[in-house]
Amino acid sequence: VGFQKILTLTYVDKLIDDVHKEFRDKYRNEFQQKGALGLLNGTFDFKDDFMRLLRDAEESSKVRAPTVMKTFEQSLKSQKTVKCMIETRGEKPKEKVKNKKNKGSKKDGTEAVAVPSKASAADKQPSAAGDKEELTKDEILQKNREEFFRRHMKAGEKSRSPKPDAQKEKGKKPRVWDLGNSNAKVLDYSNSATNGSAEACPVEEFDPDMALGDKNREPGRLYDLEYESDDEGEEEKVVQNPSKPSVKKGGLGGMFGMLKGLVGSKSLTRDDMDPVLEKMKDHLIAKNVAAEIAVQLCESVAKKLEGKVMGTFTTVTSTVKQALQEALVQILQPQRRVDVLRDVMDAQRHRRPYVVTFCGVNGVGKSTNLAKISFWLIENGFSVLIAACDTFRAGAVEQLRTHTRRLNALHPPESHGGRTMVQLYEKGYGKDAAGIAMEAISYARNQGFDVVLVDTAGRMQDNAPLMTALAKLIAVNAPDLVLFVGEALVGNEAVDQLVKFNKALADHSMAQTPRLIDGIVLTKFDTIDDKVGAAISMTYITSKPIVFVGTGQTYCDLRSLNAKAVVAALMKA
Amino acid sequence: KLCLFPQLLSGRYRDTQTSITDSSAVYRLSQDKSTSVTLIDLPGHESLRLQFLERFKAAARAIVFVVDSVAFQREVKDVAEFLYQVLVDSTVLRNAPALLIACNKQDVTMAKSAKLIQQQLEKELNTLRVTRSAAPTSLDGSATGGPAQLGKKGKDFDFSQLPMKVEFVECSARGSKGEEGEADLEGLEKWLVKVA
Repeated sequence: VGFQKILTLTYVDKLIDDVHKEFRDKYRNEFQQKGALGLLNGTFDFKDDFMRLLRDAEESSKVRAPTVMKTFEQSLKSQKTVKCMIETRGEKPKEKVKNKKNKGSKKDGTEAVAVPSKASAADKQPSAAGDKEELTKDEILQKNREEFFRRHMKAGEKSRSPKPDAQKEKGKKPRVWDLGNSNAKVLDYSNSATNGSAEACPVEEFDPDMALGDKNREPGRLYDLEYESDDEGEEEKVVQNPSKPSVKKGGLGGMFGMLKGLVGSKSLTRDDMDPVLEKMKDHLIAKNVAAEIAVQLCESVAKKLEGKVMGTFTTVTSTVKQALQEALVQILQPQRRVDVLRDVMDAQRHRRPYVVTFCGVNGVGKSTNLAKISFWLIENGFSVLIAACDTFRAGAVEQLRTHTRRLNALHPPESHGGRTMVQLYEKGYGKDAAGIAMEAISYARNQGFDVVLVDTAGRMQDNAPLMTALAKLIAVNAPDLVLFVGEALVGNEAVDQLVKFNKALADHSMAQTPRLIDGIVLTKFDTIDDKVGAAISMTYITSKPIVFVGTGQTYCDLRSLNAKAVVAALMKA
Repeated sequence: KLCLFPQLLSGRYRDTQTSITDSSAVYRLSQDKSTSVTLIDLPGHESLRLQFLERFKAAARAIVFVVDSVAFQREVKDVAEFLYQVLVDSTVLRNAPALLIACNKQDVTMAKSAKLIQQQLEKELNTLRVTRSAAPTSLDGSATGGPAQLGKKGKDFDFSQLPMKVEFVECSARGSKGEEGEADLEGLEKWLVKVA
């Protein structure tokens, strides 16, 4: 099945569920008896069933014709006769009687049908289009009352059988407000003649059915509030756990129910998990994970755990925590190889320099970490050329020159067979960064340097011309590794930075497969004690690994990421 | 891997899809019907392979590392890296399960021989030893390459330096006559008998 977003097929989820259920039901015996071998050896002639299900799903999703607006003739308003909208005092009781008789028969019909049945999302309105009825005020009242009862019993509704109506109105009709039609006189039920004397009250037409509502009920019994969704929910859970032959809820009730809850074999519902997930989400946000990332993480954990059967003596909290921990480790663990040295060796063999570009917003520590990484590379015996492509910030070139001098002092040429391990390639300030980078790379190739580290100026992700310039530098020079430098102190901004940087790189590249950010350098890690959430946010957004972690300002403060330790710090209370 | 799985169990060839979860079944040895081992097939997708390795490494009595002999030249770095991760894992080192490197897809003409694959892997693992141990230490102080040094320090890496028994075997899940032919799994089956 292809990605849903590309194909925009709305029926995919439902189709998958249907296929799943059908296949399982059909071959249930084979699975249960033979296990995995049955899977391998059995033949499954499912093609016809699958095509049938697919056809059904497609038809159900066919675009319905846009609903046509009701014409005036079809609407309710035209059905109301002038007569019914005129209120005359004298006629009222007679009409009432007459209508009650009509209503009585019709109502019984509907009430009999209104037996509680499985709510299958029937949204039929009682006053559907084309309903032709005479509506007096009382009829309206009764209609409302019936709707009220119907809703409470969750009955499937039958649309009223249309009654033929002859009269059609012309001219302007006075507006009838359903519930606001009464004057004080109508509401005044006190009868001056009968106040104080019991017998002289006029006998009201008392329709017992109307008052009691349900003709079919047993007299004297108190019904529970019907709550059907629970049944459906349980059915869903049973459906979702076919392979787990655990002891399902038998007929045990009462006090055994309590023990059941302890001993497990309870499956998780969304409601069970929600409070725990809320707490976890707040915990993550408190640990500096970006808010939207925390929400998405909790959502995916909830989806994964829904319907899962818990083991014995495990609580919901521990299950959720476990799942969240696994998810976090999975995110942080690099899927691709993170071995820079290996790739440098490869490039060495092909006699070309390995080019690394550092990009990021202002003040995150690009130049400092560049120096640390060049120290690490020199320690491993590779010669480095630093390209000073930050031609904007005052002192950028001098900073790199100082680092070069220090590194050369630490690793003098004598101890490396006479060659200078690190050199600076700079062209002063104000020049085009992409051009300097290109010259630096060809210089490195001529001189036989192993690695070229390109330092760029810090720029805000919203600054379009600067982002274009960066994208141009990367597109033109095609570096082997594009590292995004981000500080661990950043909060929700991390998401925005990474998204915009990647977008800019993708937009301005002419190539078929644009060079995007390949890795992340997480800096200033020593300034956060255990609020390590930025690591999660960044890896989640880009799905690229964290290549280096900067933990200070000396040359040795370069680390690699230990996924388990970071997750442990994150989950710690 | 998933092709080998039903072949060993029932001798039939089945079409397979990329797996996203593990599959396990009990395998009865052909010679000695009374002993049986459980075969577990783990998915090889790069986002899943580490996860499943973590889950099952402690329970492994023996590990079969399947290599695509045809695409080996191209993928040698990835193969070596995963093999390195399997070999330096502390649980694996502690238990030292027997390791068989099955060079699959030998029915294709361009397949590399087991000898060649062994040499290439040794060279690559040698390089990886150096680069991994030179990587920056991890945040809480423990080295990323693990305290385990693969093989002997001074000498070039060799599979004989490992604490566990390593063997190379050539096999083919499909057999040289196409889908209908007998799979060439003798080496694999013999090794399974030995291990069990």
